[in-house]
Amino acid sequence: APAMKGDFAPKRGPRVVVIGGGWGGATAAKYVRLGDPAIEVILLEPNKQFVSCPLSNLVLSGVRSIDSLTFGYRGLRSHGVRIIHEAATAIEPDTKRVRVGEGYLQYDRLIVSPGIEFQTEQIAGLAEAGDQVLHAWKAGPQTVELARRLQAMPDGGVFVLTIPPIAYRCPPGPYERTCQVAWYLKHNKPRSKLIVLDANQNIVSKTGLFRAAWRDYPNIDYRASSKVVKVDTGAREVTTEFGDRVKYDVVNVIPPQRAGTIAVQADLVGADKRWCQVDHVTYESVKHKAVHVIGDSTIGLPVPKSGTVANAMGKICANAVVHLIGGKQPPAMPPVNVCYSWVSDKEAMAVINAYRIEGGKVVQIEQKLTPGQSQAFGQNALGWARSIWNDILG
Amino acid sequence: TGPKDPGYAKAFSCSACHGWDGASRADTVPVLAGMPAWYLKKAIQDYASGKRPAAEMEPYAKMVLELGVDDVANYFARQPKPAPLAADPAAVERGRVAAAPCAVCHGTTGKGDPAKGVPDLTGQPAGYLRNQMLLFKADKRSPGEPTLSAVKALMKTIPDAQYADLAAYFASQR
Ligand SMILES: Cc1cc2nc3c(=O)[nH]c(=O)nc-3n(C[C@H](O)[C@H](O)[C@H](O)COP(=O)(O)OP(=O)(O)OC[C@H]3O[C@@H](n4cnc5c(N)ncnc54)[C@H](O)[C@@H]3O)c2cc1C
Ligand code: HEC
Ligand code: HEC
Repeated sequence: APAMKGDFAPKRGPRVVVIGGGWGGATAAKYVRLGDPAIEVILLEPNKQFVSCPLSNLVLSGVRSIDSLTFGYRGLRSHGVRIIHEAATAIEPDTKRVRVGEGYLQYDRLIVSPGIEFQTEQIAGLAEAGDQVLHAWKAGPQTVELARRLQAMPDGGVFVLTIPPIAYRCPPGPYERTCQVAWYLKHNKPRSKLIVLDANQNIVSKTGLFRAAWRDYPNIDYRASSKVVKVDTGAREVTTEFGDRVKYDVVNVIPPQRAGTIAVQADLVGADKRWCQVDHVTYESVKHKAVHVIGDSTIGLPVPKSGTVANAMGKICANAVVHLIGGKQPPAMPPVNVCYSWVSDKEAMAVINAYRIEGGKVVQIEQKLTPGQSQAFGQNALGWARSIWNDILG
Repeated sequence: TGPKDPGYAKAFSCSACHGWDGASRADTVPVLAGMPAWYLKKAIQDYASGKRPAAEMEPYAKMVLELGVDDVANYFARQPKPAPLAADPAAVERGRVAAAPCAVCHGTTGKGDPAKGVPDLTGQPAGYLRNQMLLFKADKRSPGEPTLSAVKALMKTIPDAQYADLAAYFASQR
């Protein structure tokens, strides 16, 4: 690899730099190239492979392998995206530079899609616990390790899952995970139970559908308004804000979250120091010109933090950036959302959202739920995954 | 067909399920690439009005009507239809024989007849075709629609085992 010092890849024409090759960033990189092949696109992503969070809850139940959710970046290269497997270390909006190692890259427009980071400091003992307490909320080695611990747990053991207050990545995700762990226990460790400690007052997404699904799983002990504030790996217990202590054999703490670290360091976040406000048509940051933010890091649109939304934002933002670089007015295009949730090994259900843009802001047209769960929706959920992975990386 | 097409950006969100540029490779989600514009438009109108109930399409159908259904329909009509997915040759042969009663409406090749409002079945994924036939049989696609009573009556005469064969046959045709 070339030494990354100074301006290590001098800009010769219009250039877009993308930070993060996940659901939002990889989509945006591809669609800038599709929109205008005269624009050079450089994607910064430290990981050599893309691991899909969607469907990763099925790795916990042993229904899917992590390999079946892991993809390379060859497709993006075939569209002429230049991928550098390094992390961006700083953004300099005034000089339009992104720092990488000891060098920098110049850009005309920057698209930032760094996903989420955990607010580990919000839970006492969590930082010290290291890998003894897993989040498995970024698909990868932690997902595989949590599945292994679940399998190794003795029958009769207690699995504790803790859910942070909204806003967090994938609102229905923890409840889907609840289904997958409960399904696994029901079939493999019938004397075990799953205790879910939810910081929220109720299931935050698809409430009725999850309640109905859980009728098949009497092994779930769901406790609302039970925010976990402490974890003790010695005593193997977690403590809620009301002082309730809960013992575990295997624990999965999904910590509170904020935008990816680079977005915080680059001062793209609001007063809450957590999430990034953006223009609803171009996804340009309200704080820095020519810097666009998409995906889970954003806030203020009436959309969930989902892969479908990140993918939609990637396309819309790419198209806006192509228009802006070409000196044209970008069209106002609304995103869409769909979140399928797997309630067993074969059955799924979904929430579907459509939006419009009104007065420059995204507003919802309609939200619909599938009428219950079924294997047919499971098939469509697989179809969605196949289609959207190809849309992002193919 | 590219970024200059007025439907290009309006069709962005469909690829999440129907595949990039509508070239679905998923067994139960229909291919939109190469779909005749009249039929895509009719399907969108039926979903939006609730006549053809489908939770996964109704909100998007309403969105498409707001964005401009003609642009979206013309965009997909201009995309190249992908090659059929692999199918079991024996099932395709059985389906070819069983498809005789379909020809009156869908034509001998399954290409349909716009004048009679009959869609092209060729190259649609087998799982999708089978699901739609089952929906007709149970009167769950456009329930009560009088112009579809003949199709629905016909579906009831087809033995369950034949659904997959018929689907495999039409799916395998170009
Ligand atoms: C268990 C689980 C299940 C889920 N299920 C679904 C589902 O069924 N449907 C759905 O729609 N969504 C689902 N989601 C949500 C979905 O995964 C996220 O919404 C989506 O990944 C967000 O995309 P993003 O681009 O914002 O972030 P990511 O996809 O996380 O991508 C961020 C990327 O940025 C990179 N990065 C970070 N910092 C830097 C830096 N400084 N320099 C360079 N690169 C950097 C990271 O390495 C990462 O690859 C699920 C999530 C989880 C955890
Ligand atoms: C959530 C996934 C999803 C998204 C996003 C989606 N669709 Fe669909 N679409 C489906 C499913 C599932 C069906 C089959 C529904 C049924 O049983 O009738 C379908 C069916 C259709 C059909 C009927 C095809 C036929 O042969 O009758 C059309 C047309 C269509 N979609 C167009 C679109 C357009 C245009 C968009 C984008 C604006 C879109 N869809 C977005 C899932 C989706
Ligand atoms: C009497 C006329 C008629 C006959 C006979 C007929 N069809 Fe159809 N078929 C239609 C019409 C009309 C539609 C479109 C319905 C609509 O617009 O909702 C249709 C739609 C379909 C669809 C849904 C296509 C899509 O893209 O969603 C399938 C699948 C189908 N037919 C299969 C068959 C098969 C298989 C047979 C024979 C066993 C058959 N049809 C016989 C008239 C017919």
